[in-house]
Amino acid sequence: MITIKNLTFTYDLQNKILDNLSLTIPTKEFSLLVGPSGCGKSTLLKILAALYPKYAGQLTGEVDLNGLRAAMLFQNASEQFTMSTPREEIIFALENLQVDREQYAQRLKLAVKFAQIDHLLDQKINTMSGGEQQRVALAVLVAMDVDLYLLDEPFASCDPDARRFLINKLAALKKQGKTILISDHLLSNYQNICDNIFQFQKKVITKLSAAAKDNLLQKNKDKKNYHFALPQSEQPCFTLTNTKISENRLLLNQKHLQIMAGKTTLITGANGIGKTSLFNALSKMLSYDGSLTYYDHEISQLSTRKYLRQVGQVFQKASDQFINISVADELNLSKKSPNNHFFTDPEINKALIALELDQTLDQVVYSLSGGQQKKLQILLMIIASQAVLLLDEPLSGLDNHSAKQIINLLKENQARQGQTLVIITHDLTNIAEWCDYHLVFKNQQLTYVTK
Amino acid sequence: MNPGFKFFLAVIVSLEISLTTSLPTNLIIIGIAVVYLLFNHVKIKNLLLTLLLPLVAATTIFATLYWFTPEPNLQNALCLASRIYVYTLTIYCVFIGTTTTEFARCFEQNFHLPSKFAYGILAALNLVPQMKQAIKKVQTAAMMRGVYLSFWSPTLYFKAILIALNSAENLAQAMESHGYVEDALRTTIVAIPIKISDWIYSGIILLFVNLALLTLN
Repeated sequence: MITIKNLTFTYDLQNKILDNLSLTIPTKEFSLLVGPSGCGKSTLLKILAALYPKYAGQLTGEVDLNGLRAAMLFQNASEQFTMSTPREEIIFALENLQVDREQYAQRLKLAVKFAQIDHLLDQKINTMSGGEQQRVALAVLVAMDVDLYLLDEPFASCDPDARRFLINKLAALKKQGKTILISDHLLSNYQNICDNIFQFQKKVITKLSAAAKDNLLQKNKDKKNYHFALPQSEQPCFTLTNTKISENRLLLNQKHLQIMAGKTTLITGANGIGKTSLFNALSKMLSYDGSLTYYDHEISQLSTRKYLRQVGQVFQKASDQFINISVADELNLSKKSPNNHFFTDPEINKALIALELDQTLDQVVYSLSGGQQKKLQILLMIIASQAVLLLDEPLSGLDNHSAKQIINLLKENQARQGQTLVIITHDLTNIAEWCDYHLVFKNQQLTYVTK
Repeated sequence: MNPGFKFFLAVIVSLEISLTTSLPTNLIIIGIAVVYLLFNHVKIKNLLLTLLLPLVAATTIFATLYWFTPEPNLQNALCLASRIYVYTLTIYCVFIGTTTTEFARCFEQNFHLPSKFAYGILAALNLVPQMKQAIKKVQTAAMMRGVYLSFWSPTLYFKAILIALNSAENLAQAMESHGYVEDALRTTIVAIPIKISDWIYSGIILLFVNLALLTLN
């Protein structure tokens, strides 16, 4: 048993993130930690990993891991590596643990086979996709042979196949006697694998009863069939003709494609297939070969400054979007945007309340939780009111309620301004119903599909 | 050759030629360095850059000592100007064919550099491409909100520093979560040995440099 006794944790003395929490987590079992974004899931995991209070915050109370060696997989995959390649990272970690050379060879083999990363072993980590990086991060933990795996939303940037693959792998680890604790917003694929669910609500964590657990997992079981239309003869916003996009390797090789103006188009595809690179080409951060036009103007020939007033991108990582320091400053900047004719102060306040951000106005944007940052980021880009908005995984890290609020805002704004929305997502649950078209990215091609 | 030996050899040679004036020795070292670089498949573009960029410094020194001196001495001016090339080319020789990881490991294992420095610097170097990307992203993000951040804009640097600070803290946590403990014992999985040949080659090279310095004036 992992025991937590009377644990209180604060970052700034005023707001207690955890308040007098007592909890036992069974070892050698697979446990899920669920709760709305910003409730303190990451904080608890970092306390268990002994990173807090060393790196942030103040703590009173006791945490007893029962002698288990713990290691943690971070929310942001790219932030957990010291070395440049997976092989070197594994060597670094094992040298730290004072593992000798013979054992290293065995453990490397095991970890590589486990996470199936043989093809990635000597590739530079910063050229990998988010999903590939999470796979590598898991391999490092397997090589380290820790007892307690703490995973903080590890599948946020994974496609469904990679997600299923990794969850099954973690289930296999549990069978080997490891303890798994995952925080996640999505509950699909956990049925028959997860032993306990701990629900985080208003600074209290409760363990769900077996019936409540099964009920929750059943509710989230895969999944509805969706239906999409195929585009007819509408006005295209983007037109691709013999377009090639490469980043380390050729990602897109498209003969012809039109993305329609004023519509919502969904893009899905496996990890690392090139979805984000496509967005980066559309927002002039990545060069392309062939032709890529925006309302019949070649994008590479347009002035970047003018073009980006028309086309906005919501980045995968929320903090990349911020320019100012406080939440209020960020909102002011967006409000002043020349395109914004709709968002007045009362409108913005309404949105802030809906997103539960109204109490955060004086906070530094970087001190918000992952979910709060995401909500603020999307709100800022909605207020900026570009004609086209490219959204890269807009709902990752958001709980169900927040996701619905975000979608409502996007919908309302599109109805008013006729925005063109292009959305990359792995999670169709909340989003699919209101999208007009669905593009599947596969074999270096984008194709419209009806389901 | 052991990366650390290469480094110290370059430092010693540079020091020695700084304290003596022997144009032929400088030219011989430059010649050998270029041959060594070519032998190690240096990219021609990089080689040309390494030869062209120091030209500014070398020309300045030459001009000062030859054209703008009451008693010009061609030999002396050329000698001092060529030193610039000895420095840049020998340092290039040190770094060609050796990765930063090998350097970090070598200094940690062979020269007792604290592992905190070795891996801290290494991790920071690995962050460079990420930082470049991040800056570009900041500029794009700003333009999408109607703000243009020029290369000298304080906001851009503020963001860059924030990103760097944030990365530094994340990095410390990342290292710790992968088992790193400051000052703790670590094993060596990839060893960077000091071979007898390293001592012999270094000895021979130093001997020849000194002989050249003594005889060729």
